[in-house]
Amino acid sequence: MKKLALILFGLLGAIALFGCSNNSSSSSAGGSGEPVEGGDLNVAMGSEPDTLDWMYSGESATRKIGWHIYEGLFALDKEYQARPLLAEDYTVSDDKKTYTITLRDGLKFHNGQDVTANDAKASLDRWTKVSSVGKIASSHINSIEATDDKTLVITLKDVYTSLLTDLAAPKASAIIIPSDVAEAAGEQPLTNEQFIGTGPFQFESWKSGNEIVLSKFADYKSRDEEDWGGLTGKKTAYLDSIHFKVVKDPQVMLNGLKTDLYDYVQSIPLDLYEVVTSTPNVEAVTSSNGYSVITPDKSEAPFDDLKVRQALHAALDKEAMAKATYGNDDFYELDGALFTPDQTALYSDENIDNFAAFDEEEAKKLLEESSYDGQPVKIIFSNDNADYAKIAEIAEQQLEAVGFTVELESYEWATYLEKWGDAKNWDMVVVGWSPFFSPNQAGMVSRENNSSGWYHSDRWQELLAQWGTADEGEQQQILAELNKTLYEELPFEKVTNISALDARTTDLQGFDEWYGPRFWNTWKTK
Amino acid sequence: MLGYTIRRCLSVIPVMFVVSIIVFLLVHLTPGNPAHIILGEDASPEAVAQLEEQLGLNDPWYIQFFDWLKQVVTGDLGTSVFSAQPVTELIFSNFGPTFSLMILSLLFILVISIPLAILIVSLRKTILDPLFTSASLLGVSVPEFWLAILLVLGLGVSIPIFPVAGYMPIAEGFGSWLYHLLLPAFVLAILEIGIIARMLRDSMLDSVNQDYTKTARAKGVRERDVLMKHVFANALIPTTTVLGATVAGLLGGTVIIETLFTIPGIGQLLIDSIHRRDYPVIQGVVLFIAAIYVLVNLIVDLLYAFLDPRIRYDE
Repeated sequence: MKKLALILFGLLGAIALFGCSNNSSSSSAGGSGEPVEGGDLNVAMGSEPDTLDWMYSGESATRKIGWHIYEGLFALDKEYQARPLLAEDYTVSDDKKTYTITLRDGLKFHNGQDVTANDAKASLDRWTKVSSVGKIASSHINSIEATDDKTLVITLKDVYTSLLTDLAAPKASAIIIPSDVAEAAGEQPLTNEQFIGTGPFQFESWKSGNEIVLSKFADYKSRDEEDWGGLTGKKTAYLDSIHFKVVKDPQVMLNGLKTDLYDYVQSIPLDLYEVVTSTPNVEAVTSSNGYSVITPDKSEAPFDDLKVRQALHAALDKEAMAKATYGNDDFYELDGALFTPDQTALYSDENIDNFAAFDEEEAKKLLEESSYDGQPVKIIFSNDNADYAKIAEIAEQQLEAVGFTVELESYEWATYLEKWGDAKNWDMVVVGWSPFFSPNQAGMVSRENNSSGWYHSDRWQELLAQWGTADEGEQQQILAELNKTLYEELPFEKVTNISALDARTTDLQGFDEWYGPRFWNTWKTK
Repeated sequence: MLGYTIRRCLSVIPVMFVVSIIVFLLVHLTPGNPAHIILGEDASPEAVAQLEEQLGLNDPWYIQFFDWLKQVVTGDLGTSVFSAQPVTELIFSNFGPTFSLMILSLLFILVISIPLAILIVSLRKTILDPLFTSASLLGVSVPEFWLAILLVLGLGVSIPIFPVAGYMPIAEGFGSWLYHLLLPAFVLAILEIGIIARMLRDSMLDSVNQDYTKTARAKGVRERDVLMKHVFANALIPTTTVLGATVAGLLGGTVIIETLFTIPGIGQLLIDSIHRRDYPVIQGVVLFIAAIYVLVNLIVDLLYAFLDPRIRYDE
């Protein structure tokens, strides 16, 4: 009997010991040899997309799968510059109001149909109706016409130099789908049978709550140039299939990565970074993930008063907030610009000195001079994201230290979305914004709605109008002006730029991330 | 017996009706709606309102309820707002993994707890009895998620005997199906093994010194037969009651185990649907789970009559 007990305890002890042991050897990437054809890639994703209609949805989960299936006429390269993808070439008329776009030869959809200008027209017509970016562009578009099988002509109402950037935006994207599919879907999201694109991988199946499977598209017509990075340039599908598996628990993801169950895992909590870097044959992948913000409701008291917003601005110690929330400074970057530094063409560091304006005494003084009457300020956030909860809690302490009275209310995502829609429910929200690619796509300022906290600014709208007609040199000046407006009108409080953490096995070669993982030009060594 | 069975089956109808009203109200009175989720954080109020209209969410709740009820009566649970798949199809494709997990766990429970309880009762005067009491208490007390994490780290990662996650349908091979389910089924069973074994042991110990067992022993019946034919048979009635509740409890337990082992079961379907406010799927799944509870209870009641011939429902 004693023996039995000893064996039992011994077994439990061994399990605990093995379970808690931490392999301390450092990760090492294998060298990239000749590409290997074939193999199945298993990707663990934390959340399942609501749809794979990348034109309809701006959701990150949709994008990370969608860009393997679909392509647009243009796409952004590694430097966030719009370059042709399905388009062979384009010309712009002298008055800058007519864009003539020619399609590449030999393009095919996943269903075997040839890609024609008529498909492009039907797709863009739908894009202007269902996409948040397309709706912005549509106010400048007069007509979209297919003049022959390969030529598409877009005529504008006014000069709008952002058209190509909008067509290339990897968010609610201007993807080209067969005209019959675009017309049948109309303003509804595409169904499983309608996920037909021109990308290097094609949609195979979607088992809800389980996995989404893509397979190599044998007739893929790649561009001939080198890989331009981002979403355009030469693309080769080496893998036979990609299985995007729904895995809710990050620890399960890492265990699966260690045991070759998964080759790539997405959205690992930052506090597991040390675990990732200390695991053999596993590499951390970090990518720019936009920034976190605190947005006050400017339609009502107290934040309709600029003085109160100035007090808020002076009260927030963003460095302390970022450090406490994100911990490792590899994953946050205190920077006050509207765009992130990796978006080289859009980034301007002019007029951002007032970003770090933390001064408790100044905040108290400004608050006393303002119309704030001591009424409780309600901060709402979604408790689905632990970072938002931390930011809200730290903001509460910092605001109370200067004389605000603060209430916190957290909701799960669906409830939060509904509460956010009505100004009566909140005075401030804590939320994150994924990268955007043109000033008019900046959801937290561009429209007078709940996303911007009902920000009404003639000055901002005037700058957006100027942006639409500006050339590259003028755009830099406008970016500097936009930054200046941010710190004079204080529509929102930018906390910090953030990065997301993914992890991959070193058996994955040729891999490059750009605003998320892309698996063309990538192969498995075993 | 047949009359009783029919009456019990008919009594399910009002139960299911009440369940469906409660579920419908709970789901629809909770803030948040699928239109917001589908359109995302950038959506304009006009787009949300338009989609709400298309999804029929603008009608008063009682009209939505009766529209849904009319469908349910005809066996149509509606279609998912997100995937546009019929709810019945979703339920059945997700119930396979859950059912597999439940069956294998139940097998573990029966195969381990019953022989264990009998063994302990037959060796009740040895050190095994207090040892069993402590061990079973441990089984009841250990949180499932903790045990699951420990077993995965030990037997999945450090000594890679079992897969750390995933599920294979039985159609793709019995061995593969079993290999993927052994660890999760064991974790799910461990709590119930403790409960059932303790329950059976206690019931058997109650009977061990009753007059009828003394009489049996006095007649010269062997101790083994006394235990199996008299003590065990009498202890089965209360144990069956607990076992009925256990089967229902397993359905709840699968929600956690499915998450920890990434098994695409009915629990995952329900949680995802709640997060997305996919009303038809939530209502369909809850109704289905309620039907299973009712069915299990009916089977338990019918089993009483089988286990104890003195029980006659029709009299």
